[in-house]
Amino acid sequence: MSLLTLDSVCKSFGSTRIINDVSLDIEAGEKHAIIGPNGAGKSTLFHLISGRYNVSSGAIGFKGEVIHNLPPYEIARRGLARSFQVTNIFPRMSVFENIRCALLWSEGYRYSFWQLLGRQRTLNEKALDVLEQIGLSDKAQLPSGELAYAQQRALELGIAVASGAELIMLDEPVAGMSNSEAENAVALIRRITEGKTLIMVEHDMNIVFDIADRISVLVYGEIIATDTPQNIRSNARVQEAYLGEVPSDAKGD
Amino acid sequence: MKKQLPVWLGFALALVFLPSIFDSVLGISILNQMTIWIIFALSYNMLLGQGGMLSFGHAVYFGLGGFMSVHALNLIADEVFVFSITLIPLVGGAVGLVAAIFIGSFSTRKSGTVFAMISLGIGELIVASSLIFADFFGGEAGVTGDRTYGPPFFGIEFLQDAEVYYLGAFWLFVATLFMYLFTQTPAGRMANAVRDNPERAEFIGYSTRRVRFISFCAAGLFAGIAGGLFAINYEFITEENLNALTSGRVLLMAYIGGLGFFIGPIVGAVILTLMNSLLSNYSEMWMLYLGIMFLLTVIFLPRGFAGFIMMHQIAWQNRRLGTLILPYFVTAVPALVFLAAFVGLVELSHKGDDILPFFGLSLGAESMLSWGILLALAGIGALGVKLSRPRLAAAWALANTPTADDRGDVR
Repeated sequence: MSLLTLDSVCKSFGSTRIINDVSLDIEAGEKHAIIGPNGAGKSTLFHLISGRYNVSSGAIGFKGEVIHNLPPYEIARRGLARSFQVTNIFPRMSVFENIRCALLWSEGYRYSFWQLLGRQRTLNEKALDVLEQIGLSDKAQLPSGELAYAQQRALELGIAVASGAELIMLDEPVAGMSNSEAENAVALIRRITEGKTLIMVEHDMNIVFDIADRISVLVYGEIIATDTPQNIRSNARVQEAYLGEVPSDAKGD
Repeated sequence: MKKQLPVWLGFALALVFLPSIFDSVLGISILNQMTIWIIFALSYNMLLGQGGMLSFGHAVYFGLGGFMSVHALNLIADEVFVFSITLIPLVGGAVGLVAAIFIGSFSTRKSGTVFAMISLGIGELIVASSLIFADFFGGEAGVTGDRTYGPPFFGIEFLQDAEVYYLGAFWLFVATLFMYLFTQTPAGRMANAVRDNPERAEFIGYSTRRVRFISFCAAGLFAGIAGGLFAINYEFITEENLNALTSGRVLLMAYIGGLGFFIGPIVGAVILTLMNSLLSNYSEMWMLYLGIMFLLTVIFLPRGFAGFIMMHQIAWQNRRLGTLILPYFVTAVPALVFLAAFVGLVELSHKGDDILPFFGLSLGAESMLSWGILLALAGIGALGVKLSRPRLAAAWALANTPTADDRGDVR
């Protein structure tokens, strides 16, 4: 059974249809990339899956449960975590607190007002572990708003993966980074999503072809192709939609 | 928590010994007001500073707690219940909590401007009903009680203000401790997260509404405790104690003290209580000075007085705090001259025929010379501040640059 199932999902804002009849199955453990030109509806699709928007029609299932139109926190509690295209952290809280907050629900603390965080050893050690993984151990006590951009992006990833979610959705995780920063970020993404299911939106084709097991191409709110990277490259409709945007050097590996 | 033990011990000791230092009738009376306002302001900051909820109606929970507490005092006096009045703040707290659960159940659905408007509306609603339900609220006259009827507490009958002070100090310590501990719990920390970024909080599994609701209830509880202390201290409460003016006052306290720091509202409550009690003896214009102080704080010290103190942390770490003393002094002297002249001008403008004593001078509103002297002093003061500011700015920059031997440190 698929981990995530989209069944004829549509989304309209007013009379404008942004997502049109999208159906997609993501298998557990798969690394799936969604590509497409600007304005194709990639971020909207993310928002629909993660609960920020309600669907206009269609259904979304996660681990056999219907999740569409649930509030984001209900979906997050079921094991679906995401990052954002624009850095979306808790800027006035320390880097450590950012990660610890991201761990709270999955560690079972719920809305507790009778437990002191300083005394929760396992929780604090887990938070430090995540910091270690994302390479921000030495910045633990810094207000996260003061981090450099690439570090904020790493923290953004950390918040998404901290909860141990099975399905991780990354929205343009390396956008705005220099080449070397992007390289580090890709290595980080590989490391922290190991053994997990990943859906990501990304514009950098090298990274997409590097990481993804399968690729979906979204154009004007419709998925025109879902296939392996190899087949996507040779797909005539995709090439037409992109008009040669698929870099030629990516074809040859 | 262990690291802060000295701070809490110091706090407890200060509470014990303060009435020995300020032992006049006025001193004790001001201390009693402070215990009430500190709890109230801290509870307000659970909403605004820690939870990002701007409320214009927090006095509702303070006032309802206070009204019920006065009624409880009367029930004790009528021997309907027999319990020590030392427990009255719990009555206030329970009422504040119940009111907050009821009102918060719908007001915390929203945040930002909508939440602020709802709080304003609820505040007006309660004030209006206070005039309708005259039995409970006593109409415009309010309700009075007597704290001395209850069974004595280890021989204490609370006839004297000093005895009331120690009762207030006990509740202040307990309430402050619990409000601080709340910030260290998952619910308290998530309140910060929801304040910082409500959207992201939802994506890590938390309902922002529920997080806000919990903070709101806790704030109502502690506001009610403060209301209970108010009832014991004044034995009298009116509609004024739950209206928008009181809500505004606690907002000012939290803001002037500094929203971003736990001790901020304590500082703000102390400053405003002092101004309220002392300044009002000297000038009818004290509300004007309060307003100006609020404006200046908002513009120049957006993080409040506590924030101003904390600004010096880096200079302290660089061991360069000393370099600031002289520049501060050089700027402060003309600033004080300007302040004195400004106050003189304000006072002179509403004195009429009375003589205004001003540092040995006798000024009069009729005399052009009086106006001239004050205007000249104000000008000199302002010029002095302007001239000394570059030096202060340079000293500030220097104090905040790491010293040479610190640069090698691993940060």
